[in-house]
Amino acid sequence: MTVLSIKNVSKRFGGVLAVDDLDLTVDKGEIVGLIGPNGSGKSTTINLICGVFPMDKGSIKLFDNDLKGLARYERSHLGIARTYQNIRLFGGLTVWQNVWIATRQNGIGSFAKKLGALFLRSQKSVEAVDELLDLFALQNKANIAAENLSFGEQRRLELARALASEPKLLLLDEPAAGMNSEEVQELRDRIFKVRDLGISVLLVEHVMELVMNVTDRINVLNFGKKIAEGKPNAIQGNALVQEAYFGS
Amino acid sequence: MEYYFGILQTLGFHVLLGYSAYILLLTGQLSLAQVGFFAIGAYASGILTVLFEWHIFPALFIGAIAAGCMAFMVGFPALRIKGLMLVIATIAFSEIVRLIFFNLRWRFEINGLEVGPDGAQGFREIRYFAANGWEIYEIVWLIWTMVAVATILLWWLDQIKAGAILRAIGSDELAAESSGINVTSVKIVAMACGGVIAGLSGGLYAHSTTYVDHNTFTVLLATFAVSYPLVGGLKSVFGTLAAVIFIQGILIEGLRFLGDYRTILFGALIILVMNFKPKGIVDENFVKGISEYLRLNKKLIK
Amino acid sequence: MVITSVDVIQSIIDGILYGSIYALIGVGFTLIFGAMQKLNMAYAASSIAGAYCGLGISAVLSLNLLVTFFLGPLVGGLIGILVYLVCFRFIPSREHLGSLMASIGALFLIDEIIVHETDGSPLNFPELGIFSEAYFLVGEFGFRGDLIFVLIVSLLAMTSIILMLYRTKYGLAARAVSQQMNAAILCGINPHKVNASTFFLAGVLGGLAGCLAAAAVGVISPLLILPLTIKGLIATVIGGLGSIKGAIIAGLLLGGFESLFLLVRGVNERDIYVFLLLFLFLVFKPNGMFGSIIDRD
Ligand SMILES: Nc1ncnc2c1ncn2[C@@H]1O[C@H](COP(=O)(O)OP(=O)(O)O)[C@@H](O)[C@H]1O
Ligand SMILES: [Mg+2]
Repeated sequence: MTVLSIKNVSKRFGGVLAVDDLDLTVDKGEIVGLIGPNGSGKSTTINLICGVFPMDKGSIKLFDNDLKGLARYERSHLGIARTYQNIRLFGGLTVWQNVWIATRQNGIGSFAKKLGALFLRSQKSVEAVDELLDLFALQNKANIAAENLSFGEQRRLELARALASEPKLLLLDEPAAGMNSEEVQELRDRIFKVRDLGISVLLVEHVMELVMNVTDRINVLNFGKKIAEGKPNAIQGNALVQEAYFGS
Repeated sequence: MEYYFGILQTLGFHVLLGYSAYILLLTGQLSLAQVGFFAIGAYASGILTVLFEWHIFPALFIGAIAAGCMAFMVGFPALRIKGLMLVIATIAFSEIVRLIFFNLRWRFEINGLEVGPDGAQGFREIRYFAANGWEIYEIVWLIWTMVAVATILLWWLDQIKAGAILRAIGSDELAAESSGINVTSVKIVAMACGGVIAGLSGGLYAHSTTYVDHNTFTVLLATFAVSYPLVGGLKSVFGTLAAVIFIQGILIEGLRFLGDYRTILFGALIILVMNFKPKGIVDENFVKGISEYLRLNKKLIK
Repeated sequence: MVITSVDVIQSIIDGILYGSIYALIGVGFTLIFGAMQKLNMAYAASSIAGAYCGLGISAVLSLNLLVTFFLGPLVGGLIGILVYLVCFRFIPSREHLGSLMASIGALFLIDEIIVHETDGSPLNFPELGIFSEAYFLVGEFGFRGDLIFVLIVSLLAMTSIILMLYRTKYGLAARAVSQQMNAAILCGINPHKVNASTFFLAGVLGGLAGCLAAAAVGVISPLLILPLTIKGLIATVIGGLGSIKGAIIAGLLLGGFESLFLLVRGVNERDIYVFLLLFLFLVFKPNGMFGSIIDRD
């Protein structure tokens, strides 16, 4: 089953064609890589999926829902969650609150239920938050303001927050940037855990150690255009890809 | 004694005004409309008790609700766009309200006396308290009960998810929206709540002073309203309370001998605080200090 | 009184001419917004303050009117730099309300200083000599000489600003800083210097607008500050936040609109309709007449 399908999507910023007629799909339970040199339109692709800005043409679908014209929060309710290339946490809130904010009750269910979620701490949401903090080894930092976390912890918190909304599709924008190899290992294990929860993942990443080991399929972008797609080891040997990365 | 009761009343109105701005500031939005809502509350509740001879409580209630509805209507177009637009729209809104009351004449005879808003002359004769034999300390008590209720509600807000959502929006709108929060509607609701509190404050003000006119509802007063939470800091509702006491109690009342230099000082104070304490005076360290102190006490009690 | 169509058109003409002052203020707001993506709420206050100082200095030294029109903008520019320093330069931009609030503080600081220094009473502003007496008749419609002067001076000033932005090294640097701050820094541009220059330029325009407004009204008073602030901002929004062309056209139209409602509804109600116009735009055309689509960020 296709979770995400992007068809003929383009996005222009002034003179820059950031995404050029892109096709991309993510299937259920799949971890799909999106790689390419800097400025090739990877983040823009994620931003288009989340509705940060509108696309110029094409269509993006999550399952059978056309995302065109949907607000960002509606896309979140449909099951899209993400992390950011430059970490964006709610700095003044505690670690616990950061995750709590995103728990699934927002805008789901009857009006009374929604209202209740605003005023009460349901046992279920508390458990969900605690579980996520456990998974990301942040339980002992629960009451610290997010802005006081270390870089690695902030990255983990962003992931935890993304998962709190119980997404069906998780978009990761360079989650391993700046990590040492041990942290990359941990991240890999967590991404597998996420997949085991039935969540599909679109992974934008430069760190080959991660991409090659974790993805089922890789798409390569260059100047906004998809230049290759395939299994990790096939991509590794692809001449076009090497040229895009290392120049001719 | 009268004098101190008078100051207490003034502090009360200003605390409520500050709270009304505080709620919206939590979402990162600066509104100069609070004075417009204040004016609507003042005129609406005054008209109800004077021209329609209502009891004070339903009149205050309706005044506050009217201001809240107005806030909803202003917030709807203004909050959908960039935050800066809200500043411009709200300053225009406050002036519209002021000019409408400047032009509003609606007078008829009640008990042989012509009463009601009289255009530029203002709205005198809001004498509910005197006519019903309220003592001044009872008025002060009423005002500060309202202040206490509002303080508790706003403190409670920080314990529940609604408060965290407001602060999340203030901290990063895009991230909040991508986490599933309908940012625009939250802001509009915050605006409406702020309108209700400002309207309540206006109603109390009109009845305590017995007299309002358009000159009260200036952009300067709107600036006071937003300056309390910003000078006090948004860490907690008590920052606003402290700032009102500092600015109104000390700067404006305490330094009376300085005459009109005080308003000059007010402008300078804002500039200084924004440069040197951009998070407000009651900031992180301040709160940390207090909460550590409280925690210590708790341990001792246990 | 019966209002004829001649009256209507005449009042719109007067208004559009006077509207060039709103256009100037609107352009000033836009310049600063373009440079820093921030509002300088003290802008109209410093403009009027510049005019006051120009008037004061030339009165003390008994210089003639021409000098006032030179000193006013100059002092306006200097106050602009001062406002930049105390409200914008050192306040970190991640405290995104900091500069905004500080500039509101500066607005009242300037306003109160003027009130304090002049005991709140308006001062006579010298008339524009021959321009005040001139009156041109074109068919049934008259054009006040002083307002024509206002329009011409404003248009000249705005044209020079636009030329400066697009034809000079400063303009290039200013646009670079506003579009790609970090890249500009890497190219050796000092953004603080560029921003200070922008505030100076905007201040010069403002000081000029202050002098023109005072000359057209005949008096200068702190009561001019708030209406000028709000109407300048409205011109900025209606024109499309960030668009200089928009601010100019919107300023002129706003003047005409205002004058029309002065005729139809009287002086007490006029501004209600002018301010309501803003809400019409917010609801139906939130990006203004020439605004690029503003990010909903
Ligand atoms: N909001 C934006 N405004 C203007 N240009 C942008 C914006 N976002 C990205 N771009 C441009 O689009 C191109 C692709 O950027 P991006 O998607 O961030 O690349 P990547 O994530 O692959 O490094 C770049 O040239 C970048 O400068
Ligand atoms: Mg990127």
